[in-house]
Amino acid sequence: MIIERSSEWKDGFISRLENQKPWDNWTLYKMSYEAVKNNLITDFSGLQSPKYLPNLTPLAHQLEVAETVISRMNGKAILADEVGLGKTIEAGLILKEYLIRGLVKKVLILAPASLINQWVEELNYKFYIPAIGYRKNTSIDYYDVVVMSMDTAKKSPHKELIYAQNYDMIIIDEAHKLKNHKTKIYEFVQGLKKKFCLLLTATPIQNNVFELFYLISLLKPGHLGSYETFQSSFSASKHSLEHDEYLRELVNQVMVRNRREETGIEWTSRRVQTIPIEFTKEEREVYDLILELKNVSSVFSGAFSMITLQKEMCSSKEATYLTLNKMRQNCTTPEEIAFVDHIIQKLMTLEINSKAEKVYEIISQANDKVIIFTEYKASQVYLQWYLNSKGITSVPFNGQFNKSKREYMKHLFKEKFQVLIATESGGEGINLQFCHHVINYDLPWNPMKLEQRIGRVHRLGQEHDVHIYNLAIENTIEKDILELLYVKLDVFEKVVGELDDILTTFKKTI
Amino acid sequence: MYPQQVHDYLQKFFKENNCEIVQGNEHYMTVQLTVDMDKKIMNRPFHWQYIENTNGVPDPAQLTLITDQTKVSKNMKGEVVHFGSPRLSQIFHTTRELGACVQMYERILNNMETRPILTPWLGVNYKVSYYCDRTKEMLYSLGINLMTGEVINGFQESIATKELDDQKSERAFLLPYIIKPLRALDRLDTVIENLIQQEDHAWAEEAKSRWQKDQEILEHFYEEVEEKPECYELEKKAMEEQYGAKIKIDIINGGLFYIR
Repeated sequence: MIIERSSEWKDGFISRLENQKPWDNWTLYKMSYEAVKNNLITDFSGLQSPKYLPNLTPLAHQLEVAETVISRMNGKAILADEVGLGKTIEAGLILKEYLIRGLVKKVLILAPASLINQWVEELNYKFYIPAIGYRKNTSIDYYDVVVMSMDTAKKSPHKELIYAQNYDMIIIDEAHKLKNHKTKIYEFVQGLKKKFCLLLTATPIQNNVFELFYLISLLKPGHLGSYETFQSSFSASKHSLEHDEYLRELVNQVMVRNRREETGIEWTSRRVQTIPIEFTKEEREVYDLILELKNVSSVFSGAFSMITLQKEMCSSKEATYLTLNKMRQNCTTPEEIAFVDHIIQKLMTLEINSKAEKVYEIISQANDKVIIFTEYKASQVYLQWYLNSKGITSVPFNGQFNKSKREYMKHLFKEKFQVLIATESGGEGINLQFCHHVINYDLPWNPMKLEQRIGRVHRLGQEHDVHIYNLAIENTIEKDILELLYVKLDVFEKVVGELDDILTTFKKTI
Repeated sequence: MYPQQVHDYLQKFFKENNCEIVQGNEHYMTVQLTVDMDKKIMNRPFHWQYIENTNGVPDPAQLTLITDQTKVSKNMKGEVVHFGSPRLSQIFHTTRELGACVQMYERILNNMETRPILTPWLGVNYKVSYYCDRTKEMLYSLGINLMTGEVINGFQESIATKELDDQKSERAFLLPYIIKPLRALDRLDTVIENLIQQEDHAWAEEAKSRWQKDQEILEHFYEEVEEKPECYELEKKAMEEQYGAKIKIDIINGGLFYIR
């Protein structure tokens, strides 16, 4: 066994024996001994951190997570609580514990850029951990706890600077961004030494079970076997698998997950409705013409662009127009151009947007603050205009807004306007508990995006039931999306665990 | 440590270090630091460098420390200090630095008839820490009689009841030591190692088996790979740091004690 000693005290003692230095104060001597005695960590297990944090009152499930991760998972884990249960607090408790126990000195925290300040503030003010946010010229040699965005970290020269450090602990927030093993960020994290490591994500599976495989392989390579053995043991394909109970058991050895309803905290419920919408005759006509496109021109033969156009047509004519007009420029023959022009002309004469009308109806009935999520900026602008014409005030919200603009928009929404219209990237890191109606104007392919959206509103501090309206137009691509969402949710629930309602529960019939 | 204990600790600390408490009650204190104390706890080396290089007038800070926020007026400006706050850990650290080595003599009452004989002891307080992916700490207070070589455990507690002075009283007769203090320190170092060896080290074995289990998983992952990639070595190294057992011996403080 390695035994380490320091000769520091001995040196000081010698200098006193040789009369080079005066002897110290007896009262301070006794105080020092008493202080060490009082602060002694007498047990391998149990948490020290709470007594160092008298101003923080962690919830029971948060303390339990911290203990489980340290004592059962040896400090390497995925923290997968549902959105809004305080994963940051859990990570803070674990980190604080390791710092107090002297097991961790240098820490790297990777988070989306929009959450860096929040991390720095929480660690400093709630946990007394002197964390700093990384800036271009920050010399990371001198700082023990650094918070950095993933996008910065994976690039040169930052990447090399990080690799040159010897981090004891790596914490990654929104770790589902590592779902794809072919990305730069995945490769970067793979190249980091992970003595202790926490991956935070409410949604360890977004689209398919392999994402979870790659996430765990990053944390503990081999825990689920190699890719081939994993695939064959569970007959895993993208949207199905077998022996899911066994897999779930393996997963639970490295993942902790609390559900809202298990936390013992009173939660308001989610009332989810899927609202089918019928196109008008005119809208249907344009939609069908768009479906025709792939037979008319090779420009439209790509599945991706066709899907985009169909989705956009389900959203607004404005969104559709932008894409269609861009693709028109790739058309060469007069027939092609004429066909596209014909569609555009039909499109522009549309006077009714059935979905937007439904939105107006919902808002009027709710008679309360409402958040609308759309996938398209053009639809965002249109909706704002449309609602305004109906006498409903609204503010836009984008992920690209800087911090002060985000705060300002949030403020406007809270104090003055009835509706907030957000695009997808606006979903992360804003908390809007004062609102309890969410309209999913467009459906994303990834069910966890819906979960993230709802999580903005349905989180700690929400006092009312939350109403969620998923809009889908009948006999369009939106029906297909809805079905696939159910399939993906099923895989998630099999492997990761139950989820609070995202979609209505008629899935059994599909 | 409760707010009241923190308060008492701070009060004692500043008093011992000649920092005047200019204002306060039992929930807060405003203290005038000395130049030395400012340098130790205010983290402003450049300020002091500047003052000294320009022959400026030293201006040690005045600090207001609030030990119980619930009991003082909301408008009071000051730093809230509690167990776990950076300021208190800094003061613990400074206490340790300023109370590291002492030489003490047992107090002799003047009405004694004979001249009492005081025996020299070396007392050392050790903190022993076990590290793997978890930790545990133990405190040993050892004392060695510099005449006989007798070693006792719990030395600090045994002298706690005695009245000690940093000056020898005139009437006391000091025995010269036979074992030199540094030799005695070596002996205590050996004693502490023996004590550690007698302890139960199942913790290290358990850490090793956790390590082995993880190692097997890793090997399995790379079983088919002939040329192991860099991250394989990296993972192995991480495990070594995570689970590798080690013991650290720290001396908190110690000193020479002349006692009856």
